[in-house]
Amino acid sequence: MQEFDHIQSLWDTHKVEVKISSDEMLSQVKKDVGSIRTRSVLNIAGMILSFIAIAALWLFFDFKSWTTHAGLTITITVIAVYTFILYRGHKLIAQNDFTAHPKEFLSSLKNYQLDRFKLYNRLYWIYAVALSFGIVLFFFEMLSYYSFWKQCLIVGLTFGWIFFCSTLVRKTALKRERERISLLIEKFERISKQFKETA
Amino acid sequence: MEKKDQLFKQIFDSNSKKIFHLCYGYTGDADSANDLLQETFLKVWQNLDKFRNKSLISTWIYRIAVNTCLTYLRSEKRQAKDELTDSIIENSVEEFSEKNEQVALLYKSISKLEENDRLIITMVLDELPYNEIAEISGISEGNLRVKIHRIKQKLTELYNQHARI
Repeated sequence: MQEFDHIQSLWDTHKVEVKISSDEMLSQVKKDVGSIRTRSVLNIAGMILSFIAIAALWLFFDFKSWTTHAGLTITITVIAVYTFILYRGHKLIAQNDFTAHPKEFLSSLKNYQLDRFKLYNRLYWIYAVALSFGIVLFFFEMLSYYSFWKQCLIVGLTFGWIFFCSTLVRKTALKRERERISLLIEKFERISKQFKETA
Repeated sequence: MEKKDQLFKQIFDSNSKKIFHLCYGYTGDADSANDLLQETFLKVWQNLDKFRNKSLISTWIYRIAVNTCLTYLRSEKRQAKDELTDSIIENSVEEFSEKNEQVALLYKSISKLEENDRLIITMVLDELPYNEIAEISGISEGNLRVKIHRIKQKLTELYNQHARI
């Protein structure tokens, strides 16, 4: 039979170690937000690279047909517009720091989540349709240089890839990103809300 | 900003251990306690300018930590610490010692207490002055003494029950 003194001595002897410093703690929060920012930057970088690649193709090859030029114009315009949309979204989370301006950051993060949701839904389909239309026009001239089977293979692979990205990849990316942002919003909201209760 | 950084560092260094112990008492595992510690000090960081010196800063931080722990337990609908304390017991098999087992039993017993009792007893165990505990928990000092007496009895009873199993 033990007395409370024994419990007290147990509590006192159980030494706990705080494994984090104040600096590490603040930088940890910045890191959580940083991973979302990094993904956003990578998205934009990928789009810029695609833009450069298509622009180079247009500059360095001598295309004869108007359909090729029309296809490339549509493709490059779509990419430029979507890069701008991505950049606008990125600005939402790049402007504020949660540790310095929690309210503003939380509001920006919510807007960013909404922005991404739109991007992965309605805007994505507009993007996919416009891109497909551009590619179809581009293929008119390009495919004439290839045999029938090669044409079938190129068309099959291209549209198969677009279909794959529009369905499986899009859904998975949307789900993952929504979960990641929701988790951060939930955490930051909890932090802000609880303080209102305690203050 | 640099002044705030320095002040925060000072506050963190002098209070983090006690707050971590409090969170540990609530959750029964180091990882969750660490998360709660971080949440608590994030709130402290963000609201440092609003602290009015009406109470001790340690009391203010304790109040924030207590609310953080309570909300964590309620919102996550965690089943106290049954599973967690079980894992502590399992883990301690590897580095078995009588002391480890007793500590695990202590946390398991604390987890069986009511949420508010758990909060009060962890502050008692941390040897906070009664007037501070009264302020943090919002109970008058007179009532608190009676309550603490009951909680101590209940905890000792629970601990002995678990120790017999």
